[in-house]
Parts: sequence; C-alpha cells; structure tokens
Amino acid sequence: MEHSKHTQYASSEKKDPLDPGSVFNGHFDGLAERPAGGTGRAAAAPQPPGGAESGSQRPVMESWREERTRSVEDNEMSLPSLAKSYTTILRGLGEDPQRQGLLKTPWRAATAMQFFTKGYQEKIIDVLNDAIFDEDHDEMVIVKDIDMFSMCEHHLVPIFGRVHIGYLPNKRVLGLSKLARIVEIYSRRLQVQERLTKQIAVAITEALQPTGVGVVIEATHMCMVMRGVQKMNSKTVTSTMLGVFREDPKTRDEFLTLIRS
Amino acid sequence: MNGHCNLKVNDTAEEFLCNNKGFSELIIDSKKSVVHRKHETSRKEAEDKSRLPALEAAYTSILRELGEDTDRQGLLRTPLRAAKAMQFLTKGYHETIDDILNNAIFDEDHDEMVIVKNIDMFSLCEHHLVPFFGKVHIGYIPNKKVVGLSKLARIVEIYSRRLQVQERLTKQIAVGISEALQPKGVAVVIEAAHMCMVMRGVQKMNSRTVTSTMLGVYLEDPKTREEFLALSQSN
Repeated sequence: MEHSKHTQYASSEKKDPLDPGSVFNGHFDGLAERPAGGTGRAAAAPQPPGGAESGSQRPVMESWREERTRSVEDNEMSLPSLAKSYTTILRGLGEDPQRQGLLKTPWRAATAMQFFTKGYQEKIIDVLNDAIFDEDHDEMVIVKDIDMFSMCEHHLVPIFGRVHIGYLPNKRVLGLSKLARIVEIYSRRLQVQERLTKQIAVAITEALQPTGVGVVIEATHMCMVMRGVQKMNSKTVTSTMLGVFREDPKTRDEFLTLIRS
Repeated sequence: MNGHCNLKVNDTAEEFLCNNKGFSELIIDSKKSVVHRKHETSRKEAEDKSRLPALEAAYTSILRELGEDTDRQGLLRTPLRAAKAMQFLTKGYHETIDDILNNAIFDEDHDEMVIVKNIDMFSLCEHHLVPFFGKVHIGYIPNKKVVGLSKLARIVEIYSRRLQVQERLTKQIAVGISEALQPKGVAVVIEAAHMCMVMRGVQKMNSRTVTSTMLGVYLEDPKTREEFLALSQSN
C-alpha cells in the first residue's frame, strides 16, 4: 500500500516552486493543481478510523499526510462506549459516579472529547473548495491572532494559544476565514505543536501554491502548567517557513515584525 | 464543640454543608471531631498505582473510539501518561487539611486583615472533565491564631485538585480555613476561566467566572468586605 501511494505521487509530480531542499519525505511530490491536489490525496489515502495500517513501521512524517476520516454517524455510535470508559475513569479516580454532579458527566465528557477531536471528521477539500480567487496580488497577506485550541496527544490535556499565518500569493488568494478554518481542522485533533504548525503550512501551500507561507504558533501547554514542571508562564513558540519565507530573510523579517506589532 | 460555634457562620453555609449528601465523602463535616477527620480520605496513594491499569485501558478505548490509531508512535504510551496526569490532577482527594496544617498555626496577637492574593489555581470541571483555572484571593482576620502563609495556598491546592464546581471550591476553601483557625472572618474570591466555555459550547474566549464566599465579620460588616475587595483587586 505504501508503494502504490508513492508511485501515484511520483507520477503526478509537478515542478515544485517552493522548496528544493524540502525535508518532507516525498510530500511535495504530491503537489498538483488545486482540485486534484485535494481529491488526489483524499482518494489515495482513504483512512478507516482506527487505522487499517499499523503505525509502527511507518516513517514518522507519513502519519500526518493522510486525512483520517470519522463521520458524524461514527460519533453517535461510539458515544456509549466512550461514556462507559469515562465512567471507569471516574471510578478509578476514587469518585462516586452516582452523585448528582457526576451523573451525566461521562456523556458530557465524551461529547466534549469528540468536539475537541472533530478535526478528524473534516477534510481540507470540503472547507476550501469555493474560496480560492484569482487576484493579481503579490504582496504579503497576514492573518494573525487566530485563537487555537488543541489537545496534547501525550497527556490528553488542552493546549491553547494563537496562530499567525502569512503568505505571499502567486495570483491566487484564499478567503481569509478559510485560513482560520484550516487552523481549526488541524488543531481539533490530538496534536504535537510542531506537527500542527507544519500541517497548517503545508495545507495552505497545497491549496494555493503561493510563493511562500509562514506560520507561527505561540501556545501554552496545560500539561506543563497544570502538572509536571508546573511553569505557569511558559509559552512554546513554533514556526514553519516555506518558499520565499524560508529563502529570503527580508521577507521573513517583515512577516515576523508585522505579527509582533 | 470544635469551636465552630464561635464563628457566626451564615445559615446557608450550614444548610449547604448538611443537606448536600452528594459529596458525602469529600464534605467538611463541621460536626466531626478532629480525630475522625484524620481518616477522612476516599483515596490513598497506594491505591493509585493499583488503579492505573483500569484507567489505562479506559483511555486506550477512548483513543480508539475517537478514531485515532493507538499504535502510532506519538500515542503508544499516551494511555499511561493520561491516566497518571488525571491522577495528579485529582490528587486532592487523598489530602486532608490536618496533614498540611498541623504545625503551622501560631499564636500571634494580631487582629488585622491578612490577605494572600493571586494564588494560581487549576482544577477540573466535574461536568466535562475539562480544566478551569484562575486566581484565588484569600483574606482572613485572625483571632489570636495565624497560619503559615503558604498553608493558605496548600489549602487551595487540596480542594482544587479534584473534580470541582467553582462555587463549591470557593466554599470549601473558606470553610476549611474557618475550621482550622476559628478566625473572626474569612473571605475567598475566585476568578477563573472555564475551558468548557472557552474551548467548546458557547466558545467565549474572554469570559471569566467570579465566585466568592464571605464568612464571619466579612459577611456582617460591609466595610471589612470593602477593604478586602479593594486590597485584593489592586494591582
């Protein structure tokens, strides 16, 4: 299955305008025209929830290439078993699941958790389809201070912060709220901040083929604040610079200055 | 009587404590003697380890039901980490006031207000199992007995590291201090952000919930209350 995926990507390889020195293991091979890019990826990598493939032998970067799908029906069907797991957890913590405040907590917690991971139900192609416009604009476009809420995949504890996105269009611009929607899709998952940053940048790249993309995320990790080292004021900052943002220091500077102001 | 009647506790506090059978094990039973309070824990540390496998299994099942691949590298040990994290976040269940206060009550001839403010607090919403966090401001007027300052923060820790409702948390802190010190009055104000409102549901980023409990002279005398509120809000 791995081999066939690679062949498919290799055969549709276009000239990569962005980053000759890409560290993304084969990911830019898959760059194609706008509609095919999204559909191509979705068709090439249909993912039944729970993984038809074991992740243990896959290279690390591959696991975020596929867009896992989970449907609304799946959600409803898994609710009882999720609620049961939460009841077990309540009991295991020494609480009394029958007391008034906790009676419906397993259901509420299960629904909440499904909401926090609703990114698995959504695909970029659904969100972006109509909002790419041809504009003769080639100056930087920045959307900053996008509130972001995610879940740490290591401790299942929230991460929250702000995302700043900038891109240099190459004749194609994106509806502004779509940038925020891309953030939502990838952040409402079990995440690692580094991977989240990269996924957002790559999604924008694939959708628009811009001259460059820059994404900066500044977040607070509750797993560091509420437990463990317990450093209240710590923030983690990650960034991904692609294309001209990576190659040209002046462009990067302009982006970083504008998001700080 | 364990000194509780020295305090003019308002009726609603008494009612609340006596009638709410819900958290029977966690309640500060004002009628219990000090000896009985020593044994009042519903969870001991040794039990934590023995409960870990069940918690891990529950988390593994949750991950699978959410559509994730539990064999991928990032999630391999997540059930164990999440279970331990959850136990840490609810460690208040096996701590009691007596354990932490025992030696730190001193006789001082001081009867002016003592305030400890901006105590960072992290708790878990008992309805959604999602964090809420904020700041606690505590003030009390000693009645010949003062408490070590960090003990006020430790009292906050005991009660906040549980599945909580902000109203109950505020009251438990106030009553805990009352019982330990028998002061002339206790005031507790908590201002917190609830992730269950910020990350989901109504999704109001900047909303904050403020609750307060005033006992003793803080309840009766508006000037004392004003002084506390002015001093604790100033920055």
